[in-house]
Amino acid sequence: MLRFEDVSFRYPHSDSSVEHLSFHIQKGEFVALIGSNGAGKSTISRLSNGLLKPDSGTVYLDGTPTTSIRTSQIARKAGFLFQNPDRQICQNTVREELAFGLRLMGLPEQEIRERTREAIEQFSLDGDWFPFSRSRGERQRIALASVLVCRPQLVILDEPTTGLDYRECTAIMDYLTRLNREEGLTVLMVSHDMELVSQYAGRVLVLTGGQLIGDGATHDVMRDQPLLGRAHVLPAQIPALALKLDAGAKQPQFEDVFTVEEMFETICRLRKEMSATAGKGEVLS
Amino acid sequence: MNLLQYLPGNSVLHRLNPVTKLAAAFLVGICAIVSHSVVFTISLIILLLGICTACGLGKRALRLTRSLLVLGGMMFVFQLFFVRSGDPLLSAGGFTFVTRDGLSSAVLLGLRIVATMLPLMLLFAITEMNDLCGALVKRLHVPYRYAFIVTTAFRFVPLFTSEFHDIEDAQKARGVEYDGGIIKKLKLSVPLFVPLMMSSLKKVDAGAMSAQLRGFNLRTVSSGYREYPFTAADIGCILFSLLLVGAAAVL
Repeated sequence: MLRFEDVSFRYPHSDSSVEHLSFHIQKGEFVALIGSNGAGKSTISRLSNGLLKPDSGTVYLDGTPTTSIRTSQIARKAGFLFQNPDRQICQNTVREELAFGLRLMGLPEQEIRERTREAIEQFSLDGDWFPFSRSRGERQRIALASVLVCRPQLVILDEPTTGLDYRECTAIMDYLTRLNREEGLTVLMVSHDMELVSQYAGRVLVLTGGQLIGDGATHDVMRDQPLLGRAHVLPAQIPALALKLDAGAKQPQFEDVFTVEEMFETICRLRKEMSATAGKGEVLS
Repeated sequence: MNLLQYLPGNSVLHRLNPVTKLAAAFLVGICAIVSHSVVFTISLIILLLGICTACGLGKRALRLTRSLLVLGGMMFVFQLFFVRSGDPLLSAGGFTFVTRDGLSSAVLLGLRIVATMLPLMLLFAITEMNDLCGALVKRLHVPYRYAFIVTTAFRFVPLFTSEFHDIEDAQKARGVEYDGGIIKKLKLSVPLFVPLMMSSLKKVDAGAMSAQLRGFNLRTVSSGYREYPFTAADIGCILFSLLLVGAAAVL
């Protein structure tokens, strides 16, 4: 779906750059891009949707180099959700906002009305709302709805949950996960929130100083403390706790533990095993 | 780089009282308007560039002049075709395109644009906004509220420019095409200006609230601790500017 081949880019009049990036994101993957500030995460996301064109190397979106098509054409395949929804929202009602992207695609009015109505229902919005006066979470939901209503094959999320409370954050992420699993939507998410990454992403790309230093399954990356250390990123709390509990153990018990539920289940299982062993011991003695 | 951004320095121009700089900028502007001589206006621009170069501002002054020349060039073209009086210089098929009066007034107008705007724009390169605001309050007794409005407006320019670029990117990422003709661009201005207006209003609201929390209403002439005395250099600068106005009126 998205392929970077030896891509380098440097901002004019700035030291910020990304160098020799190569990776391939398959259709239907949920990939997180992590790294400290200035590592090049946002640059990669902007290179992915053609807002930036590489100085060298090629970015392929669905097999087509981003340099050979206009950003507006790329927008039909790749939706982009910015950290700040206010840069995107420009219409007086939620209904018009959702229809705006579809009109740009040149769809017939009947289909626009149909798709808009569906999206309003799915995202629990009200078509008559004045978007600018809604809460931050609602504005982010409106922005996401206006991206997804265009049914892109790839959606790029730049810090999608900044400023959202837990409930709003879960609502957005659960919806994206469902689309990812059921409809094969490819997701590329830039995030600082390691809890969010460990909970939702299947694969993680680790960046530092504009270079890709890690690429692997979320479970493996979250347990690779030296790698995360090089990227100046703290691992999510549960994998970090699991690593500490396993430190020095002959038989690691928490290797596959990444969520609170998994931690709870593992501890319950170990408690049961211990009490069973203790019970046997008592009988034997 | 923003052409209105302050350039720190310690030159004679930098050290002048902000009120003097403002007055001198206006007086030089008046010179350019009063003068009807092309030679005088060109000399005035060269003089300004020379003074700026001597004070280490040559690069900025040249970049500003180049930008202003584009604006001046546009005015030149308009004036050239709108002034119909005078002897015809360029005619074809019985229609006069350019007249002698048209050419001379177009050249003068183009140069005037550069000569009037250059000193005003240079003012921002050599004056910190806080100093301009402080001097207006201390020396001219302008109410702080009004001085603050003017200086804040300029301070917001680079912020809005960067916000505008980010909004443009966000809209491009949605599929808005800005690479069409002028009519198309005008039609698609809504996705640019509505978010910009909303974010500006929010910024201004947040700014006003934080100003209130920091005692904005309590500020008076005596609140500022910096003094802005007039020195011999200030008097010299004003006298020189007045001399230029006199010369412009005579020549």
